[in-house]
Amino acid sequence: MEALWVVLPTGQRASGEWIDDTLRRRAQEAGLLARTPLAGKFPRHRVEVVRAADGVEEVNALFEARGWTDGLPITPPTLPRVEAMCATTVRAPSDVLGEVEPLRGEATVEKIAANAVMAGCRPEYFPVVLAAVEAVLDPAFNMRGVQTTDENVAPLLIVSGPLAARLGINAGFGALGPGWRANAAIGRAVRLVMLNLGGGWPGAVSLAGLGQPGRYTLCLAEREDGPWPALHVELGYRPEQSTVTVLRAETAINVTGGLAEVASVMASAASAFTMLYEGRVAVVVAPFVARRLADEGWSKDDVRRWLHAEARVPVAAWQSWWLRATARQWPGWVTEASGTLPVLREPGDITVVVAGADLAIPQLAYFPSWGFPPCRITREIAAPIDLIG
Amino acid sequence: MLRASAAAEEAGVPSVSLTCEGFIGQAATTATGLGLPSLPVAIVPGHVDVQTVDELRANVFGVTVEGVVQGLTAAPEKASELVEPEPGEVVFEGTPDEINRFFYENGWSDGLPIVPPTAARVEAFLRHTDRDADEELGVLLPDRRSATVRTVAINGVMAGCRPEYMPVLVALIEAMADPRYGVEHSGNTPGAETLIIVNGPIIRRLGFNYQQGALRDGFQANTSIGRFWRLYLRNVAGFLPHKTDKGTFGNTWRVVLAENEDALTRMDWTTIAQDQGRAPGESAVTISRFTGGTVLASVFGTRPEQMIPYLADGIARLVAWEVIFTVGMSVGAQRPLLVLSPILAQTLARAGLSKQDVQRQLFEHARIPASRFERYMSGWTNLLPGRPTLHALVARGRAAPVFAESDDPERLVPVVEKAEDIMIAVSGDPLRTNAYVFAHNGILGYTTTKPVRLPAR
Repeated sequence: MEALWVVLPTGQRASGEWIDDTLRRRAQEAGLLARTPLAGKFPRHRVEVVRAADGVEEVNALFEARGWTDGLPITPPTLPRVEAMCATTVRAPSDVLGEVEPLRGEATVEKIAANAVMAGCRPEYFPVVLAAVEAVLDPAFNMRGVQTTDENVAPLLIVSGPLAARLGINAGFGALGPGWRANAAIGRAVRLVMLNLGGGWPGAVSLAGLGQPGRYTLCLAEREDGPWPALHVELGYRPEQSTVTVLRAETAINVTGGLAEVASVMASAASAFTMLYEGRVAVVVAPFVARRLADEGWSKDDVRRWLHAEARVPVAAWQSWWLRATARQWPGWVTEASGTLPVLREPGDITVVVAGADLAIPQLAYFPSWGFPPCRITREIAAPIDLIG
Repeated sequence: MLRASAAAEEAGVPSVSLTCEGFIGQAATTATGLGLPSLPVAIVPGHVDVQTVDELRANVFGVTVEGVVQGLTAAPEKASELVEPEPGEVVFEGTPDEINRFFYENGWSDGLPIVPPTAARVEAFLRHTDRDADEELGVLLPDRRSATVRTVAINGVMAGCRPEYMPVLVALIEAMADPRYGVEHSGNTPGAETLIIVNGPIIRRLGFNYQQGALRDGFQANTSIGRFWRLYLRNVAGFLPHKTDKGTFGNTWRVVLAENEDALTRMDWTTIAQDQGRAPGESAVTISRFTGGTVLASVFGTRPEQMIPYLADGIARLVAWEVIFTVGMSVGAQRPLLVLSPILAQTLARAGLSKQDVQRQLFEHARIPASRFERYMSGWTNLLPGRPTLHALVARGRAAPVFAESDDPERLVPVVEKAEDIMIAVSGDPLRTNAYVFAHNGILGYTTTKPVRLPAR
């Protein structure tokens, strides 16, 4: 018999209640208990001892039945693994970063570490996970809305600065996956935190009709060899600092070509919500395109201004949208437009990042946004203690 | 703060508690323990004590006000019940090493090895009391958990007690649950620690050390019962560092003090238990929460007038900010403890002094300038809001008249309200002329005595 000492990854409120009791009731009402037959059935301790011939198999079976996974196998959050994760930060394991909406489990450093272990993070990724969790707990992220809406929105994590390369967070070929452990595990850790500490269980709490693959992970780094100032430098950080920036992304839309194609996709993916609530979107520009634009004298601001000017929809189209009549307070730049109108309030609402393979058949991406309030949240990543020089 | 809000809510008045950032977790737990888990709090960033007026204003208007509005206008969420193991439920099976690791990792031990509380061991403890295992001795904040005889036995086993200590353990938890003691304050930031004093025949019966090294570990009854006290605060009341126990430093639990009753009898002095109203010859425990203590070494002299000034000085210099329990916060609740070695007590008794005479002389000598007293409560600290003078407190009925007998700021005032507030115990090396003095935490751990009742069998 093998004994695994695992830290329970599920959410406990400041008052001591476990969010699983609420989740079991919601899952039962929604007829979803077949997915999580053991929801709420676990010892109410910090640490549980799982004994089995194959401990890893048993922890996986238990956690899946209790509703603590995203459907993929997890790494058991054993005490040594969780402790190794916590050792990369100066914060105490009991430090509370905040409460994760909507069920408000406390995001303690240790609970986040348990979920990071489960997601497959190496200890040195943990400061990135902590910074990303801090970002999604910022009220501007609107965690309650993201977790409960019927839309399929997911957090998009963009890592910028020298730590990205040192941690192996991919910014090049296949930056949006698959294939790189850091991108896969860091994004997944944030999702597990949302599931296990916030209680965003599909169908029971999260009413997103379809979900999206980006809800498993959606994390990339910015290339350091781009022709323009890096994202974190644009946002006022020093070049030697590293940051994670979080946006609310509806999906990733692939764009082959250049800026004209991006503008065309932006127009066809125009969102009434984004116009109404000053949504902030992201455009990933392939290095080949970025370099050519820079050679012609374009700055990032020029790119944003051009996309903002070119990505337009007919006013008549806006008038036919259902939200047009439902929502009362449309901003002036929408109601006062004639002929066509831009799909965003202003150029600054476009986050431009250089990433992806350096190919002459450039692959770009557009990330439309959802919801309110305007969201582009950046947090500095602390260098992991003792693990890298 | 939360307790005041709870009282207001119970009276039908909506409340919001302004809570400094570092206390949010404690506030949530306390609110749940009070039975009002949705009691609203509004955060004040940082700690108010180290902010300028401008910083505080910016924090309150930038952050706190919105929390106040939210707390007073939003409908609180419905609360649900906590799930806990059933009484007598087996929570773990494993080797002794595994049991120790499991208890430690789940926050049920103090970091030292525990004796596994097996059903058989708990049963053996329960045989040493007539009380039913499920009898409730009280309900303890902050977790509002029922203090049952069974949980007394379980924590007694874990602490390394012997089964025959059970009547003492039960009496201690009755004292802990007595509202006069105020266990709910045990997580406050000065982090004072309780001293248990034992009196009566139980001292010899259970083998308490009351001679040389009376406050030293090394004697099972004194040591394990002291540890039991803190394990019970952790596991039943629910005081956990980094959560509900906000002691800035804290200190470890205190070894139990037993009095030298042979010496007291020979001198015809009363015991602590008798001073607290118990009958002579009755076994009893007295608990009192002390902020700290110090030794008064080499008390020199053959006559009281040589000895009293030094002993009184020890009390006067140890009771510093704690004067807020003498006046202001809780009037007349400061009860410092002077522990005299038998030879010191006997020297005083030989001069014809009763314990009460000694208390009176100490009261006369343990005095400090009024200006210093006022600095402790509202000059160097902000412990008494509005920075009142002693005259103002006397006028408001929040201090005894003895504190305002003249307008001279250098007049000498006592550090306790009355002579009998100075507790005197006799213990320690019978032949060494040292004393020990403790300053008291007032109503936040007020002196409380309970009889120890042995089983009929």
